[in-house]
Amino acid sequence: MPGALDLPFFRDGVAEVLLLSVAAGVLGTWVVLRGLAFLSHAVGTATFPGLVLADGLGFSAVLGALGAAVLVAGLMGALAGRRRTGPDSIIALVLAAALAAGIVLASDVFDSGASIDRLLFGSLLLIDAADLRFAAFAALAALAGSLLLGPRWLADGFAGRGLGPAARDVVLVLLIAFVTVASLAAVGALLATVLLVVPAATTRLLTARMRTWQLSTIVLAALEGVGGMWLAFEADVPPGAAIAVIAVGVFILAALLRAAVARRPRGLATAALAVLGALLLAGCGATAQSDGRPLVVATTTQLADIAAAIGEPDVAVHSILRRNSDAHEYEPRPSDVRAVAGAEAVLISGLGFDAWAGEIVKASGTNAPVINAGAAATAGAGADMQDPHWWLDPAAGLRATEAVEAALIRAAPGARAAISARASAYRARLSRLDAAIRECIARVPARERRIVTDHDALGRFTRRYGIDVVGVVMPAAVSRAQASAGDLATLEREIRRAGVRVVFPEAGLSSSVAQRIAVDSDAAVGDALHADALGPEGSRSGTYLGMLAANADALARGMSAGGVSCEVDA
Amino acid sequence: MIGWITDPFGEPIVLRGAVELVLLGVLSGGLGCWIVLSGVSSTAESLSHGMLPGLVGAALLGIPLLLGGAVGLVVAAVAIALVQRSPLTPDVATSVVITGLLGAGVLLGLSPSAPAGLGSLLFGDLLGVSDLDLALAAALGVVVTLLLFLLHPTLLLTGFDRLNATALGRSPARLDLVLAVLLALATLVAVQALGTLLVVAMLVGPAATARLVSRRVAPMMLLAVAIAVVASVAGLAASYHANLAAGACVVLALAAAFCMTLAGRGIAHVVLARSAA
Amino acid sequence: MTGARLLVVDDVAAAYPGAAVPAIASLTFEVRAGERIAVLGPNGGGKSTLFRLITGELALGGGRLDLTAVRCAFVPQTERSRLDFPVTALDVALMGAVSRMPWWRRPGRADRELAREALRRVGLAAVEDAVFGSLSGGQRQRVLVARALVQDAPLLLLDEPFSALDVTGAERLELLLRELAAEGRGILMATHDLDQARAADRVLCLNRVQIAFGEPAAALTREVIERTYGGAIVDLAAGAAALLPTHHHGERR
Repeated sequence: MPGALDLPFFRDGVAEVLLLSVAAGVLGTWVVLRGLAFLSHAVGTATFPGLVLADGLGFSAVLGALGAAVLVAGLMGALAGRRRTGPDSIIALVLAAALAAGIVLASDVFDSGASIDRLLFGSLLLIDAADLRFAAFAALAALAGSLLLGPRWLADGFAGRGLGPAARDVVLVLLIAFVTVASLAAVGALLATVLLVVPAATTRLLTARMRTWQLSTIVLAALEGVGGMWLAFEADVPPGAAIAVIAVGVFILAALLRAAVARRPRGLATAALAVLGALLLAGCGATAQSDGRPLVVATTTQLADIAAAIGEPDVAVHSILRRNSDAHEYEPRPSDVRAVAGAEAVLISGLGFDAWAGEIVKASGTNAPVINAGAAATAGAGADMQDPHWWLDPAAGLRATEAVEAALIRAAPGARAAISARASAYRARLSRLDAAIRECIARVPARERRIVTDHDALGRFTRRYGIDVVGVVMPAAVSRAQASAGDLATLEREIRRAGVRVVFPEAGLSSSVAQRIAVDSDAAVGDALHADALGPEGSRSGTYLGMLAANADALARGMSAGGVSCEVDA
Repeated sequence: MIGWITDPFGEPIVLRGAVELVLLGVLSGGLGCWIVLSGVSSTAESLSHGMLPGLVGAALLGIPLLLGGAVGLVVAAVAIALVQRSPLTPDVATSVVITGLLGAGVLLGLSPSAPAGLGSLLFGDLLGVSDLDLALAAALGVVVTLLLFLLHPTLLLTGFDRLNATALGRSPARLDLVLAVLLALATLVAVQALGTLLVVAMLVGPAATARLVSRRVAPMMLLAVAIAVVASVAGLAASYHANLAAGACVVLALAAAFCMTLAGRGIAHVVLARSAA
Repeated sequence: MTGARLLVVDDVAAAYPGAAVPAIASLTFEVRAGERIAVLGPNGGGKSTLFRLITGELALGGGRLDLTAVRCAFVPQTERSRLDFPVTALDVALMGAVSRMPWWRRPGRADRELAREALRRVGLAAVEDAVFGSLSGGQRQRVLVARALVQDAPLLLLDEPFSALDVTGAERLELLLRELAAEGRGILMATHDLDQARAADRVLCLNRVQIAFGEPAAALTREVIERTYGGAIVDLAAGAAALLPTHHHGERR
């Protein structure tokens, strides 16, 4: 991968994965030997409440994650020695309780934003110097721990001893917490085991000697990590998932090899083939195209659509979020970082909606101007900087197009006239659409303009057109957030009292609670509203203007029980 | 006091959640005991993550999501059972299989035709249960309870004396498979309604609590069912009164039941030791 | 010996999967109804392997093993059983009845009575409701014997049954085994205690290959014992002899 290694973000990713290979390779053998794989997984996942606290109280996310991991790992280690219940049950229970505490904090205490979800999905493409230092420190700590306490851990593993209150066990558990948090930035919480457990499990199939096992695990983890980076670069997929697929593929090969050696090819080989078959089904993504035109990168689909409408064909536009990707669980692909690196301008949505954009800009090393469309759109709006969904207010959308126009002209100065002409035409269409929506919604009698929405995302749209949002179902924007029984019971009473006719789910999100509430309170379920992202290409809500029109139509028909429809021309 | 307990269930949305909790409490209290006794709580926790590639694959192929999730779970369960035949412990086997499935799920999900938000299906919501969810939970409850009743002697024999089960005419590998499939079924039905978090808490929490104070398996199972039903419904009532996240309150109530039992047992030991001395 | 043949073993060998050397080879012996056979050998000499062959856990690597129409019951070493499992002594004894049933049947009142009777025979009627893990090693061993009694098999396999017993427990078990043999059961019992072997009807000496098979007086020559244990016998005063065994490790469990 000669081309890839020239890119600084790629070099940092490889360095990070090599450092983590040492940490995870050394510690992973002990994790497998002592049967602590579940503890490692649980510690990674249980960092959630720490991230919520860090976000809510405004301290560093790494500190929050580390605090939560150490606390949870300590609790698990302290309780796991009980013979009656078995260590796994205790770990599962502590994990569930930690996540539940995180959910209560996110839903009811801090009103957390979607940025917390991002922190659970790390990426090797967004490694900064602090991550590298942390990984190096983790590698040193794992090596030192293994050198000092290895013989004791080996004796404990040989005796089949579980965790206890002994100092050596505490150190082991703390090291696991430490290395897990270090790999959080690289591969995320759910895949934290990809470096810590899978390589050590693979080499365990082929060797029974401790020293050989540890060395071969470090080498294997490093090879799999670098191989995953290479695959990610070639196929343009997130590196974490690529490493996972490679590592488990190698595990399957090792299992087959072992089975062949043992002349007992049935059990493991069948399992191996089954998993291999499943992995081979996995598809690949598309690469960013650059054809000599100035490249402009936008973080969200709606922003990219605005930029394309104004800029194309004089500039090429790359959208980081895909229409089918969940903004909450976004994982960057190599093409995203490469696109930013080669961009003449980077358009971000701002107001906290795409807080990860800063990391990509930093990782890419670009000097291109970063235009915060959200800040431009809400300039002068004063107080309302809280709701990040500025694009749902056409007036804000108009202001954003001006910022986009200026950025595009800077990126392609030669096409100034054409860009300005397209921008003016676009603004005219947006203004016409705004007026048409206002006219259409006004046809719904004022007392019927009462709705309930799934998330608190449509506020800018409903306020502009005089629609009363009586309540929202979900309390926070985190995907793990949950409503309380009391709030929903109150909401149902409120729907009946206010005579709300319709509850609107949100596109791309599970709507089970919204539907339940509608059924319980004799309201209808409206068509899904588009808030975070555009609909599929070619569909009615597939463009920014179409999305506004589709939302208006869904709202009008829902509120009037089909009496009014907005066939506004987008 | 009575009002505090009964008031919430006058609200239709709370009542439904409570019915679902009772149905799944019966199901998971019993099944959970075998999960705790067999030491496969890690599988119970991680299995639901294995649904992801199944869900994405089903969406891509245009078949019902429930079917895809089922296929994903069964593949995961069978793969875990097979990998366990190596020198690796169950938690390591689970970890390897789930890591592979998660990676495959993420890659599959990159396909331009995969719909967004499939991951959110894994965060099902207690207060959003549908009639289908309730019917499935009831049906599965009947099936699982019946199977656990019929298999009880076999489960007892294999669980107690795994090494010699073959000599006693029972195949532990086959029983592992049955348990894994039951767990996969329970996960499939419960995750859609409750979400992964609540499922693992319902399966493991009451069983682990009952284990603290039980001398025999059958009473342990009955006690686990009772704890699952009472603690989870109490958690829902607390969510109603304190206006806190519903599913999280149920999980915290189940964890509190465990902590209180643990503390109670400790105090009882001390008191008994004092009175004996 | 006059009883009917319960088990015929003819030139049997077996190896564990992946192992280069067979765990046992050239075994030729038989068990008849009403006799007690001691299997004498060092740790790792193949005693457990032999039992696993007979119970069907391990596939035959060669030769003929004839257990036609005969059920066998296996009494494992209690160190191998789970002590954290919530079962009572009666539950464990009852598992013997379960082993005779198809998977959907549940043990009934008659089976329960059988299990109680078996516990009475091993002298544990008083602790039938005690949790298995809370019993002493000797008591646990006897519960496992009771389980085998409930299995009601003509052939009984016991893996080192005396190793966890105190003197009274050992005497009681010895008596019980004689009774069971007198009822017409065949008993195959692994041991590395020479005195136990001498008390049996016949003895099978095993150290990866069969060293000897026959009545103790004839079979247990000094040479056989030395070959069985791979050690040298030191003559002590008053005709007693002590064996200095070489240590073996890594017995496959």
